[in-house]
Amino acid sequence: MANPPASSAETGAPLRLSGGVFTLSILHLESADPRQLAQRITEERQRHPAAADFHRHAPIVLDLSAIPEEAPLALAEILQVLRAADWFPVGLRNAAPRHQALAQEQHLPILRGQERGIAPHSQPEASPVLAPIAQGSLLIDHPIRGGQRSYARGGDLICLAAVNAGAEIMADGNIHVYGPLRGRALAGVNGQEEARIFCANLEAELVSVAGLYRTLETNHPLWGQAAQIYSRDEQLHIIPLNL
Amino acid sequence: MAKIVVVTSGKGGVGKTTTSAAFASGLALRGYRTVVIDFDVGLRNLDLIMGCERRVVYDLVNVIQGEAKLQQALIRDKRCESLYVLPTSQTRDKDALTTEGVTAIMDELRKEFDYIVCDSPAGIESGALMALYHADEAIVVTNPEVSSVRDSDRILGILAARSRRAEQGEEPVKEHLLLTRYSPKRVEGGEMLSLEDVKELLHTPLLGVIPESEVILQASNQGIPAVHMDHSDVAEAYKDMVARFLGEERPLRFVQPVKVGFFKRLFGG
Repeated sequence: MANPPASSAETGAPLRLSGGVFTLSILHLESADPRQLAQRITEERQRHPAAADFHRHAPIVLDLSAIPEEAPLALAEILQVLRAADWFPVGLRNAAPRHQALAQEQHLPILRGQERGIAPHSQPEASPVLAPIAQGSLLIDHPIRGGQRSYARGGDLICLAAVNAGAEIMADGNIHVYGPLRGRALAGVNGQEEARIFCANLEAELVSVAGLYRTLETNHPLWGQAAQIYSRDEQLHIIPLNL
Repeated sequence: MAKIVVVTSGKGGVGKTTTSAAFASGLALRGYRTVVIDFDVGLRNLDLIMGCERRVVYDLVNVIQGEAKLQQALIRDKRCESLYVLPTSQTRDKDALTTEGVTAIMDELRKEFDYIVCDSPAGIESGALMALYHADEAIVVTNPEVSSVRDSDRILGILAARSRRAEQGEEPVKEHLLLTRYSPKRVEGGEMLSLEDVKELLHTPLLGVIPESEVILQASNQGIPAVHMDHSDVAEAYKDMVARFLGEERPLRFVQPVKVGFFKRLFGG
């Protein structure tokens, strides 16, 4: 047998698997009819040729929330239409269970986040909201407990109480925590790199801004102190909050 | 109007059943018509702790499945006139509980009793959710150690999101924290979280502190609710806790290490 090229398999090194956060375009499917989709894409591209150019060869996630569960879905044809339009469908989301099975046949993953009309039981425990301040901002005045998630879609999240270990708070904008921050805090989750996290007492398990993240240990120099976290030049900075 | 109180914790082995038995007995001693329900289908411990295991004929699951009437399954406590036990089944599993069945039982018990105490199983699966669903108030039992506090935090979140009150947008479930197996000496030595630590982590009003004691073991082995163990710290602590639950003010006891006198130290206790 010929010598195979030296590879990491030979050296016994494990496969390199790492996590990454990507921004993907989402196409909201309006009807289950592939011909209608093809027609809509052609119309749209004629109207906005520049946008069409920009989206060429883009990976795309198909959102099926508008497609009723019982509707027949010719997924294979729909995928063909998308590929013919120079798109790369990479996954589905908000698919009804029946449609999820179709996705499996097409080797398309089901992406999570924002679930479709589900029974209240399978929802993550959402915290009750006190009052909306600005559009999309979320003000919370009670502790966020382990296992709870709160997300300020399109705005800032302000928490006046503790964020306990195992809890997760997310915002498209900034995050402000006036109680101890012991859980995870993710600011700028839709990719807004200017977003920051401000906290009165930093004991977080994980902090993240626009997909950059880091975990914290108890020996962190700012542990238990007021701090702000921001991202600059693809790096996450944690500095004291001196007011 | 009857009040439904769930005794829960998330974590197992922290003293839920001991507390359910002692608390229900304490309420009954105060003259309230009380029923305590074992929701731990498949494990069945409450009737042992209450000392009525030989009188179990029908159980919660029989009633839910229509094989027995509620009156047939209720066991009157031998120490308190106004206390009843609704035992659970040892041969079925947790899926035997249905939401409709439990609701029907609660509605029927509400007519007869002042307090309905639900002894929750450990975990956050269906059995625990069933036990907390109807609750008006919750006693979260916590040991002074990190994993127990973490699980209590989790169950407090579930109470705030998955109870009937939460689902129907009513006033939230009233939460109480009960710290059990507390050993002031070990807290002093840094082996256990202190009362202040736990309060700071959970932000939940404290209903009482039950000291770590061998009396608990004796009580459960003999099938006597701990509140009946006269002249013990544990019984006193549970009576204090019941009094606070009923709105009375009681100073916290058993949270300082016992001072051992010079002679006692010299000659042994």
